[in-house]
Amino acid sequence: MNQNSKIYNWLEVFAIAAWGSLMLKYWLTGKLNLLIHPDYFWLVISGGIGFLSVAGLKAWQLLRQRRILPVRHISLLPPGFSSTLLIVTAIAGLIFTPRVFASQTAMQRGVTDFLAATRSQPQAFHGSVKPEERSLLDWVRTLNVYPEPDAYTGQKVKVQGFAIHPPEFPPNYLLLSRFVITCCAADAYPVGLPVKLTEDRQAYPPDTWLEVEGQMITETLKDKRQLTIQANAAPKKIPEPQNPYEY
Amino acid sequence: MNQQLNNAFTLFLSLLVEAMPFLLLGVLFSGLLLLFVDERKLIAKLPKNPLLGALVGSMVGFLFPVCECGNVPVARRMLMQGVPTPVAIGFLLAAPTINPIVIWATWTAFRDQPEIVVLRIVFSLAIATIIGWVFSAQKDLRPLLQPALAAAWQPKQQPQKDKKKTSSNLLQSGTFWLSGSGDPIRIDASVLQASLAASTPVKPIPERLQLLLDNTIQELRELGSVLVIGSAIAALIQVFVPREVILNLGGGEITSILTMMLLAAVVSICSTVDSFFALSFASTFTSGSLLAFLIFGPMIDLKGIGLMLSIFKPRAIIYLFALAAQLTFLFTLFVNLYVI
Repeated sequence: MNQNSKIYNWLEVFAIAAWGSLMLKYWLTGKLNLLIHPDYFWLVISGGIGFLSVAGLKAWQLLRQRRILPVRHISLLPPGFSSTLLIVTAIAGLIFTPRVFASQTAMQRGVTDFLAATRSQPQAFHGSVKPEERSLLDWVRTLNVYPEPDAYTGQKVKVQGFAIHPPEFPPNYLLLSRFVITCCAADAYPVGLPVKLTEDRQAYPPDTWLEVEGQMITETLKDKRQLTIQANAAPKKIPEPQNPYEY
Repeated sequence: MNQQLNNAFTLFLSLLVEAMPFLLLGVLFSGLLLLFVDERKLIAKLPKNPLLGALVGSMVGFLFPVCECGNVPVARRMLMQGVPTPVAIGFLLAAPTINPIVIWATWTAFRDQPEIVVLRIVFSLAIATIIGWVFSAQKDLRPLLQPALAAAWQPKQQPQKDKKKTSSNLLQSGTFWLSGSGDPIRIDASVLQASLAASTPVKPIPERLQLLLDNTIQELRELGSVLVIGSAIAALIQVFVPREVILNLGGGEITSILTMMLLAAVVSICSTVDSFFALSFASTFTSGSLLAFLIFGPMIDLKGIGLMLSIFKPRAIIYLFALAAQLTFLFTLFVNLYVI
């Protein structure tokens, strides 16, 4: 085995081990929920273990200098390049922590059409849940099933989400929003409800996480009758939840 | 800008973290196929008729529950083992959809619209079969394959006298090929492994496992890096092209289909989970366009094109792309106009 193929072999081992470590790191640091739906955690965890096992076996084989096929595999990319690319991306993933999507993405993904963009069929519908125990997503789903805003007037509400400042809303309104993911961050879509504040929204900059308590009213915003949360008092600023998405 | 880059990076990682385990599964399946399935028997059992072959190839996906990250290595292995072209192409295009996991996921998402589940299966099968059949017209696939794969590829149809010389045409592969310039080209490891595995079915298990390990490592490296490039492109487009621009195109019976096909190609989401993604558009898009998303995405998307480049030259991918796009469009337009 010449020096070059030895280096390539070890690069391969490092590349695969790096990806295995990256997957397990996200799991162990609790960051996996920023990337994918919890239903698929087991897949990533077993994938990470699988990658590390493959790399470990190869490393063991290389260290023992067992017979290694002298020929290279088909190479679409130059030898060494593909391993390096995998190592570089894995290291970048290990260094930079992915961040949860924020208001800018929500605006880009069309949160203003929040009702139209949600699922047409809710996965679960808890008719008996007390209004004040509904999450933001529960509210949007409920509204999707029966979209008449007046039906909810006066109901108590207590929800958490991050603030968005839609430019077309009056200054004392903000949009309280959450991202919903069904698979991975690539399909995250925002849902949200307008909040009528007792003060100017500038006190709550975009992306601030808030807990809003109040009751439901119907407002006409952007020429559309909308279910709106009338905040009882100033919303409470809360830290970003460990798991910022809803499912 | 900084925020957008961060979003792109998060998207990029989420696509990869979700796809890598499937890639590992696919590579392992392909390795197991290589080492533990007697492909001579398998090939002998495959129908010779191109149309029937394409149909059978499309349905073989049921045995290999891999999504589009995993089907490419298997299809590549099939071609290298001398599986007829229509069978391999049928498998390549249909396997991400015609497999139990994906069908189950689609059913979970569209329980209330069973026609979407049924039509997804039927149309994917039909389109994969038709394209596989069309490709059977190209007797010598080598001009369409990547040079390294072309060197290893052997046409299935051998003169009868050749067959008498060896029990398997796979055994004819030497260690070196002569290129046009007369220089010997070293053949790739997997052909050698295939020959070794095929020639000595009684090879001891430890040696087979060692071959499986080498094959897994090399394919993970090669396909993984291509996946990285594809996911990067998908993430950049998702973040830097406003989704509204894409969505605003989708209102009518025709534009909605085109929009969802474009979205499918751009988002590059795994077929095992794409039905949930499509569900989020269920209230705003026509059923035909949802079907277009579910049929076209698993066949051709940015990430998949990256992987397919490890099999085909760009010209062949353009043929596949054009055929799949046209057939998907016609089938789903029919649904929009006459069915739902």
